Amino acid sequence: MKPAQDLVTDVAEVLLSEEQLEAKVAELGQQITGDYAGRELTLVSVLKGSLPFMADLMRHISLPLRIDLMEVSSYGGTSTESSGLVRILKDLSAPIEGRDVLLVEDIIDTGLTLNYLIRYLKGKNPRSIKVCALLDKPARRLVEIPLDYVGFQIPDAFVVGYGLDFGEVYRNLRFVGVLRPEVYES
Amino acid sequence: MTDEATAPGPRSDSGFAHASEAEFARILDFYEVAWQYEPKVFPILWDLDGNVLESFAPDFFLPDLEVFVELTTLQQRLVRKKNRKVRRLRELYPGLRIKLFYARDFRALMLKYGRAALVSELSGASGQVTPHQEAEGSLVLGDARAGLGRSGSQKGGADLTAPAAGTEPRPGQKRRSRSARRRAGRRAASAAAHVAPR
Repeated sequence: MKPAQDLVTDVAEVLLSEEQLEAKVAELGQQITGDYAGRELTLVSVLKGSLPFMADLMRHISLPLRIDLMEVSSYGGTSTESSGLVRILKDLSAPIEGRDVLLVEDIIDTGLTLNYLIRYLKGKNPRSIKVCALLDKPARRLVEIPLDYVGFQIPDAFVVGYGLDFGEVYRNLRFVGVLRPEVYES
Repeated sequence: MTDEATAPGPRSDSGFAHASEAEFARILDFYEVAWQYEPKVFPILWDLDGNVLESFAPDFFLPDLEVFVELTTLQQRLVRKKNRKVRRLRELYPGLRIKLFYARDFRALMLKYGRAALVSELSGASGQVTPHQEAEGSLVLGDARAGLGRSGSQKGGADLTAPAAGTEPRPGQKRRSRSARRRAGRRAASAAAHVAPR
Protein backbone atom coordinates (compact mmCIF):
# COMPACT_ATOMS: atom_id res chain seq x y z
CA MET A 1 0.00 0.00 0.00
CA LYS A 2 1.30 3.41 -0.96
CA PRO A 3 1.95 5.99 1.80
CA ALA A 4 -0.48 8.89 1.73
CA GLN A 5 2.24 11.31 0.72
CA ASP A 6 2.89 9.30 -2.44
CA LEU A 7 -0.74 9.51 -3.40
CA VAL A 8 -0.57 13.28 -3.64
CA THR A 9 2.74 13.32 -5.46
CA ASP A 10 1.31 10.96 -8.06
CA VAL A 11 -1.15 13.68 -9.04
CA ALA A 12 0.01 16.01 -11.80
CA GLU A 13 -2.69 18.61 -11.34
CA VAL A 14 -5.56 19.31 -8.98
CA LEU A 15 -8.54 19.53 -11.28
CA LEU A 16 -11.18 20.19 -8.62
CA SER A 17 -10.26 21.35 -5.15
CA GLU A 18 -11.97 20.23 -1.99
CA GLU A 19 -13.65 23.63 -1.78
CA GLN A 20 -14.94 23.45 -5.33
CA LEU A 21 -16.33 20.00 -4.70
CA GLU A 22 -18.04 21.06 -1.49
CA ALA A 23 -19.65 24.07 -3.13
CA LYS A 24 -20.87 22.11 -6.13
CA VAL A 25 -22.27 19.25 -4.07
CA ALA A 26 -24.16 21.74 -1.91
CA GLU A 27 -25.55 23.40 -5.02
CA LEU A 28 -26.66 20.06 -6.45
CA GLY A 29 -28.28 19.16 -3.16
CA GLN A 30 -30.29 22.37 -3.15
CA GLN A 31 -31.36 21.87 -6.72
CA ILE A 32 -32.48 18.30 -6.05
CA THR A 33 -34.33 19.39 -2.92
CA GLY A 34 -36.28 21.93 -4.96
CA ASP A 35 -37.02 19.58 -7.84
CA TYR A 36 -38.30 16.78 -5.62
CA ALA A 37 -40.15 18.96 -3.10
CA GLY A 38 -43.06 17.12 -1.51
CA ARG A 39 -41.84 13.74 -2.71
CA GLU A 40 -39.82 10.93 -1.21
CA LEU A 41 -36.57 10.17 -2.92
CA THR A 42 -34.42 7.08 -3.17
CA LEU A 43 -30.75 7.72 -3.84
CA VAL A 44 -28.95 4.79 -5.43
CA SER A 45 -25.20 4.96 -5.23
CA VAL A 46 -23.08 2.93 -7.59
CA LEU A 47 -20.15 1.47 -5.70
CA LYS A 48 -17.43 2.10 -5.18
CA GLY A 49 -16.55 5.38 -6.81
CA SER A 50 -19.66 7.35 -5.96
CA LEU A 51 -19.56 6.64 -2.23
CA PRO A 52 -17.96 9.94 -1.07
CA PHE A 53 -20.15 11.93 -3.44
CA MET A 54 -23.29 10.17 -2.23
CA ALA A 55 -22.33 10.66 1.41
CA ASP A 56 -21.85 14.40 0.92
CA LEU A 57 -24.78 14.90 -1.44
CA MET A 58 -27.39 13.26 0.80
CA ARG A 59 -26.53 15.68 3.60
CA HIS A 60 -27.38 18.60 1.33
CA ILE A 61 -30.79 17.24 0.37
CA SER A 62 -33.55 18.38 2.70
CA LEU A 63 -36.10 15.72 1.88
CA PRO A 64 -37.20 12.44 3.38
CA LEU A 65 -35.00 10.02 1.52
CA ARG A 66 -33.80 6.49 1.43
CA ILE A 67 -30.42 5.36 0.24
CA ASP A 68 -29.39 2.15 -1.42
CA LEU A 69 -26.21 0.80 -2.90
CA MET A 70 -25.43 -1.17 -6.03
CA GLU A 71 -22.26 -2.61 -7.40
CA VAL A 72 -21.73 -4.01 -10.86
CA SER A 73 -18.75 -5.79 -12.28
CA SER A 74 -16.55 -3.91 -14.66
CA TYR A 75 -15.18 -5.23 -17.92
CA GLY A 76 -11.84 -6.88 -17.39
CA GLY A 77 -12.55 -7.80 -13.81
CA THR A 78 -11.48 -11.29 -12.88
CA SER A 79 -14.86 -12.18 -11.44
CA THR A 80 -16.56 -11.80 -14.79
CA GLU A 81 -14.18 -13.54 -17.08
CA SER A 82 -16.12 -16.75 -17.07
CA SER A 83 -19.39 -15.23 -18.19
CA GLY A 84 -18.20 -12.30 -20.27
CA LEU A 85 -21.25 -10.35 -19.15
CA VAL A 86 -21.75 -7.58 -16.65
CA ARG A 87 -22.90 -8.90 -13.30
CA ILE A 88 -24.71 -7.31 -10.41
CA LEU A 89 -22.28 -7.81 -7.53
CA LYS A 90 -24.56 -6.05 -5.07
CA ASP A 91 -28.22 -5.50 -5.79
CA LEU A 92 -30.64 -3.06 -4.18
CA SER A 93 -31.66 -4.01 -0.70
CA ALA A 94 -35.22 -2.72 -1.03
CA PRO A 95 -37.80 -2.54 -3.83
CA ILE A 96 -37.98 0.71 -5.80
CA GLU A 97 -41.30 0.06 -7.48
CA GLY A 98 -43.33 3.26 -7.60
CA ARG A 99 -40.52 5.30 -6.09
CA ASP A 100 -38.60 8.29 -7.41
CA VAL A 101 -35.04 7.12 -7.90
CA LEU A 102 -31.95 9.23 -8.35
CA LEU A 103 -28.95 7.28 -9.55
CA VAL A 104 -25.79 8.81 -8.12
CA GLU A 105 -22.67 8.30 -10.21
CA ASP A 106 -19.13 9.53 -9.75
CA ILE A 107 -18.22 9.86 -13.42
CA ILE A 108 -19.86 9.23 -16.78
CA ASP A 109 -17.37 8.28 -19.47
CA THR A 110 -18.53 5.96 -22.26
CA GLY A 111 -21.97 5.67 -20.68
CA LEU A 112 -21.93 1.88 -21.05
CA THR A 113 -22.28 1.14 -17.34
CA LEU A 114 -24.92 3.81 -16.88
CA ASN A 115 -26.86 2.51 -19.85
CA TYR A 116 -26.84 -0.97 -18.36
CA LEU A 117 -27.86 0.25 -14.91
CA ILE A 118 -30.74 2.36 -16.14
CA ARG A 119 -32.13 -0.52 -18.15
CA TYR A 120 -31.77 -2.77 -15.12
CA LEU A 121 -33.41 -0.33 -12.73
CA LYS A 122 -36.25 0.47 -15.11
CA GLY A 123 -37.07 -3.22 -14.97
CA LYS A 124 -37.90 -2.70 -11.29
CA ASN A 125 -40.67 -0.25 -12.21
CA PRO A 126 -39.69 2.90 -10.35
CA ARG A 127 -41.98 5.92 -10.64
CA SER A 128 -39.14 7.90 -12.11
CA ILE A 129 -35.43 7.52 -12.58
CA LYS A 130 -32.96 10.34 -13.00
CA VAL A 131 -29.19 10.56 -12.99
CA CYS A 132 -26.90 12.73 -10.92
CA ALA A 133 -23.24 12.59 -11.95
CA LEU A 134 -20.47 14.46 -10.24
CA LEU A 135 -18.24 14.37 -13.32
CA ASP A 136 -19.17 14.25 -16.96
CA LYS A 137 -16.40 13.27 -19.37
CA PRO A 138 -18.05 13.43 -22.78
CA ALA A 139 -14.97 12.84 -24.95
CA ARG A 140 -15.54 9.11 -25.34
CA ARG A 141 -19.29 8.97 -24.87
CA LEU A 142 -20.84 6.07 -26.74
CA VAL A 143 -24.25 6.06 -25.14
CA GLU A 144 -25.98 9.42 -25.06
CA ILE A 145 -28.03 9.38 -21.89
CA PRO A 146 -29.49 12.60 -20.54
CA LEU A 147 -27.77 13.53 -17.29
CA ASP A 148 -30.25 15.36 -15.11
CA TYR A 149 -27.72 16.75 -12.63
CA VAL A 150 -24.05 17.26 -13.44
CA GLY A 151 -21.39 18.64 -11.16
CA PHE A 152 -18.57 19.32 -13.58
CA GLN A 153 -17.78 18.60 -17.17
CA ILE A 154 -14.16 17.56 -17.31
CA PRO A 155 -11.59 17.15 -20.10
CA ASP A 156 -10.28 13.86 -21.36
CA ALA A 157 -7.85 13.01 -18.60
CA PHE A 158 -7.35 10.15 -16.17
CA VAL A 159 -8.71 11.51 -12.91
CA VAL A 160 -8.52 10.11 -9.41
CA GLY A 161 -9.65 11.11 -5.95
CA TYR A 162 -12.96 11.79 -4.20
CA GLY A 163 -13.93 8.16 -4.81
CA LEU A 164 -12.24 7.71 -8.17
CA ASP A 165 -9.47 5.16 -8.25
CA PHE A 166 -6.64 3.73 -10.21
CA GLY A 167 -6.09 0.12 -9.24
CA GLU A 168 -8.33 0.66 -6.19
CA VAL A 169 -5.99 3.37 -4.85
CA TYR A 170 -6.43 7.17 -4.60
CA ARG A 171 -10.13 7.04 -3.68
CA ASN A 172 -9.45 8.80 -0.38
CA LEU A 173 -7.96 11.95 -1.86
CA ARG A 174 -10.09 14.92 -0.88
CA PHE A 175 -9.83 16.50 -4.31
CA VAL A 176 -10.10 15.33 -7.91
CA GLY A 177 -6.75 15.31 -9.66
CA VAL A 178 -5.17 14.23 -12.90
CA LEU A 179 -2.95 11.24 -12.41
CA ARG A 180 0.58 11.48 -13.72
CA PRO A 181 0.89 9.36 -16.89
CA GLU A 182 4.02 7.69 -15.63
CA VAL A 183 1.98 6.19 -12.79
CA TYR A 184 -0.33 4.23 -15.05
CA GLU A 185 2.16 3.77 -17.84
CA SER A 186 4.49 1.98 -15.48
CA MET B 1 -28.23 -7.44 -45.98
CA THR B 2 -27.84 -11.16 -45.66
CA ASP B 3 -28.83 -13.58 -42.97
CA GLU B 4 -25.20 -13.96 -42.08
CA ALA B 5 -24.82 -10.28 -41.45
CA THR B 6 -27.83 -9.99 -39.21
CA ALA B 7 -27.98 -13.33 -37.53
CA PRO B 8 -28.67 -12.94 -33.81
CA GLY B 9 -26.91 -15.04 -31.27
CA PRO B 10 -23.58 -15.31 -29.56
CA ARG B 11 -20.76 -13.37 -31.09
CA SER B 12 -18.03 -15.21 -32.84
CA ASP B 13 -14.52 -13.83 -32.75
CA SER B 14 -13.91 -14.57 -36.38
CA GLY B 15 -14.10 -11.98 -39.08
CA PHE B 16 -12.48 -8.97 -37.45
CA ALA B 17 -9.79 -7.21 -39.37
CA HIS B 18 -8.00 -6.03 -36.25
CA ALA B 19 -7.52 -7.36 -32.74
CA SER B 20 -8.73 -4.07 -31.24
CA GLU B 21 -12.08 -4.58 -32.96
CA ALA B 22 -12.45 -8.00 -31.38
CA GLU B 23 -11.68 -6.47 -27.98
CA PHE B 24 -14.15 -3.64 -28.56
CA ALA B 25 -16.82 -6.18 -29.50
CA ARG B 26 -16.14 -8.04 -26.26
CA ILE B 27 -16.67 -4.81 -24.31
CA LEU B 28 -19.99 -4.21 -26.08
CA ASP B 29 -21.03 -7.79 -25.40
CA PHE B 30 -20.11 -7.39 -21.75
CA TYR B 31 -22.43 -4.40 -21.37
CA GLU B 32 -25.12 -6.07 -23.48
CA VAL B 33 -25.01 -3.49 -26.22
CA ALA B 34 -26.13 -4.91 -29.57
CA TRP B 35 -23.67 -4.39 -32.41
CA GLN B 36 -23.08 -5.19 -36.03
CA TYR B 37 -19.69 -5.36 -37.66
CA GLU B 38 -19.22 -3.35 -40.85
CA PRO B 39 -22.88 -3.63 -41.83
CA LYS B 40 -22.87 -0.67 -44.21
CA VAL B 41 -20.73 0.69 -46.97
CA PHE B 42 -21.25 4.38 -47.63
CA PRO B 43 -20.14 5.83 -50.95
CA ILE B 44 -18.38 9.13 -50.26
CA LEU B 45 -16.87 10.07 -53.63
CA TRP B 46 -18.15 9.68 -57.18
CA ASP B 47 -16.74 10.54 -60.59
CA LEU B 48 -18.62 12.71 -63.07
CA ASP B 49 -20.41 9.65 -64.43
CA GLY B 50 -21.73 8.77 -61.01
CA ASN B 51 -19.41 5.84 -60.43
CA VAL B 52 -18.33 5.36 -56.87
CA LEU B 53 -14.67 6.18 -56.42
CA GLU B 54 -14.40 5.95 -52.69
CA SER B 55 -16.45 4.39 -49.93
CA PHE B 56 -16.31 4.08 -46.20
CA ALA B 57 -17.47 1.19 -44.03
CA PRO B 58 -17.50 2.15 -40.34
CA ASP B 59 -16.39 -0.72 -38.13
CA PHE B 60 -19.44 -1.02 -35.92
CA PHE B 61 -23.08 -0.06 -35.88
CA LEU B 62 -24.89 -0.09 -32.55
CA PRO B 63 -28.53 -0.44 -33.63
CA ASP B 64 -30.15 0.26 -30.26
CA LEU B 65 -28.11 3.44 -29.89
CA GLU B 66 -28.26 4.33 -33.57
CA VAL B 67 -24.59 5.19 -33.76
CA PHE B 68 -21.72 4.02 -35.93
CA VAL B 69 -18.30 3.60 -34.36
CA GLU B 70 -15.02 3.69 -36.20
CA LEU B 71 -11.98 2.43 -34.32
CA THR B 72 -8.51 3.42 -35.26
CA THR B 73 -5.31 2.49 -33.52
CA LEU B 74 -3.23 3.69 -36.45
CA GLN B 75 -0.46 6.21 -36.58
CA GLN B 76 -1.38 9.86 -37.02
CA ARG B 77 -0.63 9.96 -40.77
CA LEU B 78 -3.34 7.42 -41.38
CA VAL B 79 -5.70 8.94 -38.85
CA ARG B 80 -5.80 12.14 -40.90
CA LYS B 81 -7.16 10.19 -43.84
CA LYS B 82 -9.75 8.60 -41.62
CA ASN B 83 -10.69 11.97 -40.18
CA ARG B 84 -11.26 13.22 -43.70
CA LYS B 85 -13.47 10.26 -44.49
CA VAL B 86 -15.53 10.75 -41.36
CA ARG B 87 -15.94 14.46 -42.13
CA ARG B 88 -17.05 13.59 -45.66
CA LEU B 89 -19.46 10.99 -44.31
CA ARG B 90 -21.01 13.54 -41.96
CA GLU B 91 -21.37 16.07 -44.78
CA LEU B 92 -23.05 13.59 -47.10
CA TYR B 93 -25.20 11.85 -44.52
CA PRO B 94 -26.04 14.52 -41.96
CA GLY B 95 -28.56 12.34 -40.14
CA LEU B 96 -25.97 9.70 -39.44
CA ARG B 97 -24.23 9.57 -36.07
CA ILE B 98 -20.67 8.32 -36.07
CA LYS B 99 -18.13 8.22 -33.28
CA LEU B 100 -14.46 7.98 -34.10
CA PHE B 101 -12.40 6.22 -31.47
CA TYR B 102 -8.75 7.18 -31.79
CA ALA B 103 -5.79 5.23 -30.51
CA ARG B 104 -5.73 7.42 -27.39
CA ASP B 105 -9.41 6.66 -26.74
CA PHE B 106 -8.87 2.95 -27.11
CA ARG B 107 -5.84 3.20 -24.87
CA ALA B 108 -7.86 5.05 -22.24
CA LEU B 109 -10.58 2.46 -22.46
CA MET B 110 -8.08 -0.33 -21.90
CA LEU B 111 -6.57 1.59 -19.02
CA LYS B 112 -9.98 2.06 -17.46
CA TYR B 113 -10.66 -1.66 -17.66
CA GLY B 114 -7.27 -2.59 -16.28
CA ARG B 115 -6.00 -3.88 -19.60
CA ALA B 116 -3.35 -1.30 -20.26
CA ALA B 117 -0.77 -4.03 -20.73
CA LEU B 118 -2.61 -5.18 -23.83
CA VAL B 119 -2.62 -1.82 -25.55
CA SER B 120 0.53 -2.28 -27.56
CA GLU B 121 -0.51 -5.74 -28.65
CA LEU B 122 -3.94 -4.58 -29.74
CA SER B 123 -2.88 -1.35 -31.40
CA GLY B 124 -1.59 -0.29 -34.75
CA ALA B 125 0.33 -2.78 -36.82
CA SER B 126 0.72 -5.19 -33.91
CA GLY B 127 -2.98 -5.93 -33.85
CA GLN B 128 -3.46 -5.71 -37.58
CA VAL B 129 -3.42 -8.87 -39.61
CA THR B 130 -4.54 -7.55 -42.97
CA PRO B 131 -3.10 -4.63 -44.88
CA HIS B 132 -5.28 -1.77 -43.71
CA GLN B 133 -6.90 -1.08 -47.02
CA GLU B 134 -9.27 1.47 -45.53
CA ALA B 135 -6.34 3.68 -44.75
CA GLU B 136 -5.21 3.59 -48.34
CA GLY B 137 -8.35 5.38 -49.22
CA SER B 138 -10.14 3.92 -52.17
CA LEU B 139 -11.04 0.29 -51.77
CA VAL B 140 -14.75 -0.41 -51.79
CA LEU B 141 -15.71 -3.40 -49.72
CA GLY B 142 -18.57 -4.32 -51.99
CA ASP B 143 -21.13 -5.52 -49.48
CA ALA B 144 -21.60 -6.00 -45.80
CA ARG B 145 -21.74 -9.73 -45.56
CA ALA B 146 -18.44 -9.93 -43.76
CA GLY B 147 -20.15 -8.27 -40.82
CA LEU B 148 -20.99 -10.04 -37.62
CA GLY B 149 -23.60 -9.07 -35.15
CA ARG B 150 -25.75 -9.80 -32.18
CA SER B 151 -28.71 -7.81 -33.38
CA GLY B 152 -31.13 -8.83 -36.05
CA SER B 153 -32.53 -5.38 -36.60
CA GLN B 154 -31.32 -2.41 -38.54
CA LYS B 155 -32.23 1.04 -37.41
CA GLY B 156 -30.71 4.43 -38.07
CA GLY B 157 -28.92 4.84 -41.34
CA ALA B 158 -30.39 1.70 -42.82
CA ASP B 159 -31.87 3.39 -45.84
CA LEU B 160 -29.19 5.97 -46.39
CA THR B 161 -27.27 3.97 -48.89
CA ALA B 162 -27.19 0.79 -50.84
CA PRO B 163 -24.09 -1.34 -50.87
CA ALA B 164 -21.71 0.13 -53.34
CA ALA B 165 -20.64 -1.72 -56.40
CA GLY B 166 -17.03 -2.81 -56.22
CA THR B 167 -14.42 -0.64 -57.81
CA GLU B 168 -10.96 -1.64 -58.87
CA PRO B 169 -8.21 -1.28 -56.34
CA ARG B 170 -5.59 1.34 -56.94
CA PRO B 171 -2.43 0.26 -58.75
CA GLY B 172 -0.29 -1.81 -56.48
CA GLN B 173 -3.15 -2.44 -54.08
CA LYS B 174 -4.32 -6.00 -53.90
CA ARG B 175 -7.95 -6.57 -53.17
CA ARG B 176 -8.61 -9.52 -50.91
CA SER B 177 -11.49 -11.86 -51.37
CA ARG B 178 -14.11 -12.07 -48.66
CA SER B 179 -12.93 -15.53 -47.67
CA ALA B 180 -9.37 -14.23 -47.39
CA ARG B 181 -10.60 -11.39 -45.19
CA ARG B 182 -12.43 -13.86 -43.00
CA ARG B 183 -9.42 -16.12 -42.69
CA ALA B 184 -7.31 -13.12 -41.75
CA GLY B 185 -9.96 -12.01 -39.28
CA ARG B 186 -9.99 -15.39 -37.64
CA ARG B 187 -6.23 -15.17 -37.26
CA ALA B 188 -6.66 -11.70 -35.72
CA ALA B 189 -9.26 -12.91 -33.28
CA SER B 190 -7.13 -15.87 -32.41
CA ALA B 191 -4.22 -13.55 -31.75
CA ALA B 192 -6.43 -11.32 -29.60
CA ALA B 193 -7.69 -14.31 -27.66
CA HIS B 194 -4.10 -15.32 -27.10
CA VAL B 195 -3.11 -12.01 -25.60
CA ALA B 196 -6.39 -11.42 -23.79
CA PRO B 197 -7.65 -14.74 -22.50
CA ARG B 198 -11.18 -14.65 -21.16
